[in-house]
Amino acid sequence: MKPGDRELFIEQVREHHAGLRGFVRSLGVDPLWVDDVAQEAFIVAYNRLDEFDHSRDFGAWLRGIARNLVINERRKEARRKRIISDNLTEVLIASSSASDEEDDEMGDFALVRLNALKECVKGLPEKSLRLLKSRYEDDNSAQDIAEEFSMNPPAVRKALERLRTALRECMEEKMQMVTAT
Amino acid sequence: MKSESTGSELLQRLLHGEAAAADVVALVSRAETDPGFARVIAGELAFSSMLGEAVRSGAPVVDAGAHFESNLRSAALPMDDLLARVREGSATGYECDQVVKHLWDSPAAAAQLRRDLAMEEFFHEALLDSKSESAFVRSLETRMWAETRRDHFVDDFAKRLERELTSAVEEVEDGKVVPFAGGWGYTFVKMGAVAAVLALGSFFGVQTMLDHKTAKPTLASVVKTSAGVTWSGEAVPGEDGSIRSGLYRLATGVVSMRMSTGSELTVEGPAIFEVGDDASTFVHEGIALARLSSTDPGISLRSKGLSVAEPARLIGIDARSEGATEAIVFNGDGGICLTEGGKCRELSEFEAVKADHLRERLVDVPYNPKAFANAWALLSGVENNLGSVRIEMPGAAISSGQGLEGEVQVYVENESFRPASDLEVDQVVAGEFSVAEANPGQQLQAKGELRSYLLQLWPTEAGEGDEVETSLTFDHPVVGVIFSSDRLVSSDSSVGSTISDASPGFNSNRGMDSGNDEILLSQDRRTLNLRFKGGGAQAGQVRVLVALN
Repeated sequence: MKPGDRELFIEQVREHHAGLRGFVRSLGVDPLWVDDVAQEAFIVAYNRLDEFDHSRDFGAWLRGIARNLVINERRKEARRKRIISDNLTEVLIASSSASDEEDDEMGDFALVRLNALKECVKGLPEKSLRLLKSRYEDDNSAQDIAEEFSMNPPAVRKALERLRTALRECMEEKMQMVTAT
Repeated sequence: MKSESTGSELLQRLLHGEAAAADVVALVSRAETDPGFARVIAGELAFSSMLGEAVRSGAPVVDAGAHFESNLRSAALPMDDLLARVREGSATGYECDQVVKHLWDSPAAAAQLRRDLAMEEFFHEALLDSKSESAFVRSLETRMWAETRRDHFVDDFAKRLERELTSAVEEVEDGKVVPFAGGWGYTFVKMGAVAAVLALGSFFGVQTMLDHKTAKPTLASVVKTSAGVTWSGEAVPGEDGSIRSGLYRLATGVVSMRMSTGSELTVEGPAIFEVGDDASTFVHEGIALARLSSTDPGISLRSKGLSVAEPARLIGIDARSEGATEAIVFNGDGGICLTEGGKCRELSEFEAVKADHLRERLVDVPYNPKAFANAWALLSGVENNLGSVRIEMPGAAISSGQGLEGEVQVYVENESFRPASDLEVDQVVAGEFSVAEANPGQQLQAKGELRSYLLQLWPTEAGEGDEVETSLTFDHPVVGVIFSSDRLVSSDSSVGSTISDASPGFNSNRGMDSGNDEILLSQDRRTLNLRFKGGGAQAGQVRVLVALN
């Protein structure tokens, strides 16, 4: 490991953790194990820093490591798997391997996007925020949320879908402003 | 070539619990097209269910009928709902397979699902504290520490953070916008708050202002405190250090309590803990370290989401995070259970487990005792009065290659043991400074329970350095001191030392017996003063045995 490599690595953890976690989840990893797999990818990368070609994109290299980790999950015995379905992961991996590059929530600008999203969440009306928190903070299913908010499950799904769309648009707007400045 | 299974074969596999996801898919599609066959399946499954209930008593049974019916219901769901379930993470294997069939035909849909899943992850990261950048980095740091122990990653990270915090403050002062993601800002604010509370006064200053009016029985007593202890909230220890039942809020500092059962509980603030009428303890927030007395049948210790089912000799609870509580065994064997659901995990020495509150799961995590350093410094039973002293955490490897110039490392090499035979120790006269050198030694009788400490002293500069002077006070009387190399070697196995050094020649002169060093044991046998010059560049070792009862 060359002097300065560790500094580079620490920088890269902060830069890429958000995108890498999105990428890992996008391959069908169980939400409970996303951080675990992403951390494993960072540790593998750290141990192999000597092999990293500095002319390459570090984010793409990390994603390659993570992709291999997820592929290996399919070979594990059922109770130790960190993916929700072998078949689903297979089709999602096939979809991801077309390109080294990833856009949006999985790519190299994911951290900026995440910060923009946090800003958007802050601006939500109270009821929308409660709905969103019930889903993502308390991890309630649409069924549970429906009972909590006296709604029916399809209405909850639709409301969440609308919220997601609105937040995505808000995030994109903020991203455009960042790019413009 | 493998022939296609008949409906009857598929049904048999289902009834015997051997059906793969593909078999279930095939069975569902046959049932949809053949109502007669569907009735046969329903009848067989109902009968299986009855059989299950007849042969099992009490325990819940995996209901194949319900499972099949659930799959039938899933088969009727629109694709959007199935995709929503996959995004939620609640899709069954059968539902995933339905989605997979859809995705194979539509690469664009697969790409869209990947974006949606990533977005779901983003929402979690944006809204959940346990998914914040700081939580992720802290957890990664723990794993790094465990997996690259001798590397400098953690130190680098700490220095880096310190620099970034400092620069963040400077930038704020300059009126600039600081794009500072994650929870570090919160940490900084918290540090400021701690400093403010510290300024309020010491533990004793605060407690004399507060009147402990309750007449409840004393269940524990404060036996030791660090500097800067402050309490908030209504319940505070009595003037005599007595702890009664109630909810205690320790704002800052570390407090060690002896429970009425004989066990010790050390808590580091900010912490909230509750003492029950039966002397049970519930740690709501903060760091706690419990040492079980050998005469205590069992300490009742719980925290958010977990309970200590079988207390180990020394066990730690880290309840600082909202999303999870960690338990770590430092000595002995223990058992940890989830409060809800009754799932348990046996833990051996230097193993740790995390109770994830959200998912109600116990997850194995790497052993990382760093969070307990302050609590351990108080509970280790040794207090530093002079010199540069480092109290090493349990599990730290004892080696002659780790110390700093002029430093004294203190290892608790055995928490508690009863020697099988008499031990030969060096002659030390209490109350007199004497040169540590060859001596006839004396026998320490094999009776009672002992604790063994190993002190490792590092010279300042080889050959010409100043002496290292240190003074350590132990919370139990010192009954034996071993500083000569041969007695150190011969007592290693008797005290159960895990010394790992194998460097050539180390054993023959590892002691503090070069004739240049001095030792003084105080009259009350609690304080040991050492003046160490050493005979070279390597460390000198001293073993200290204290009597626990």
